[in-house]
Amino acid sequence: MTCERIEGLLSAYLEGELSKTEIALVESHLADCSNCAALVALLGRTQKALAGVPELEVSPSLRARLAAIPERKRKFSFVFDFVLKPSLQPVFAAATILMTLLSFYLFNPDKKMIDRTIDLKIHSGYSQVEKLYAKAGSLTGRIGSTAENVLDSVKSWKIFGGNEDPINKQ
Amino acid sequence: MLVNAYSRRVFNLAYQFAGSYQEAEDLTQDIFMKLYSALGKYDFKKNFTAWLLTLAKNHLIDTYRKTKWEKTHRDEFDDRFVAPAPGPESGLIHEADRKLVWEGLGELAPETRMAVILRDIQDKSYEEVSEILDLPLGTVKSRINRGRLQLAKVLKDRKEGSHDL
Repeated sequence: MTCERIEGLLSAYLEGELSKTEIALVESHLADCSNCAALVALLGRTQKALAGVPELEVSPSLRARLAAIPERKRKFSFVFDFVLKPSLQPVFAAATILMTLLSFYLFNPDKKMIDRTIDLKIHSGYSQVEKLYAKAGSLTGRIGSTAENVLDSVKSWKIFGGNEDPINKQ
Repeated sequence: MLVNAYSRRVFNLAYQFAGSYQEAEDLTQDIFMKLYSALGKYDFKKNFTAWLLTLAKNHLIDTYRKTKWEKTHRDEFDDRFVAPAPGPESGLIHEADRKLVWEGLGELAPETRMAVILRDIQDKSYEEVSEILDLPLGTVKSRINRGRLQLAKVLKDRKEGSHDL
């Protein structure tokens, strides 16, 4: 058996996990090979040294930091959940669009021109609204007089106590 | 409750793996942050300790890979951190071996180091190590054997270097 093959079996040998045949093979190799025999001794010392690495206590400051994590996470998740609320998404979208438009306006080199155009648009819009309002006023008057006529003619029907018969009119 | 039950275990795993007390504290905090985020995904059929140690192992190895270049030195094997070893084997020779093996752990590949720590320092069974590392039993055994051999060679080289052997 080669040293390499033996090395692969050494942990199992030290932990008593080999079959009798394998133990005999390893031991006969170790009797002839001083390097592997020394390695077994070193391996045993390594395992003892590893087993002797002590456990440390957790410092009070770390313990306090760890205990504070759930509360911190809860606060953070509350803010996070609030910001990500689906009902707020249209508000954020509208605010983003508004901010984008505002930045285009504020940082545009032709800001004065834009101001003038906006003024013009506002004025023409205002005059159009006034015209519409005036038209609407006259329309209301016309609708009122038409309604009165309709009411008078309906009142004159026989059925409502008048003397006109709308069915046998002709 | 989780802190009381598991902080010591996680902190020691982090310290043994990273080799730095300060870093182990930061890593433990990160692992607990991850733990609280991942609790919802815990499958109650599984062993909680193994699940937590798998989470810790993943974080430790990932962090090691990201910051490998900073991890060349381990803390001195300081008396402040050393509890007196029980029994008659707590002599100077064993103390020196522990110091060398402690330093040698830093030279192992992260996966091998984790396997050796779990088996030989934390005294887990091969089956538990296999579950935590999510690897077949045979792979775990050969990895641990390889790690021990590497450490034994470190012990040999350092002893020869200091003419103590």
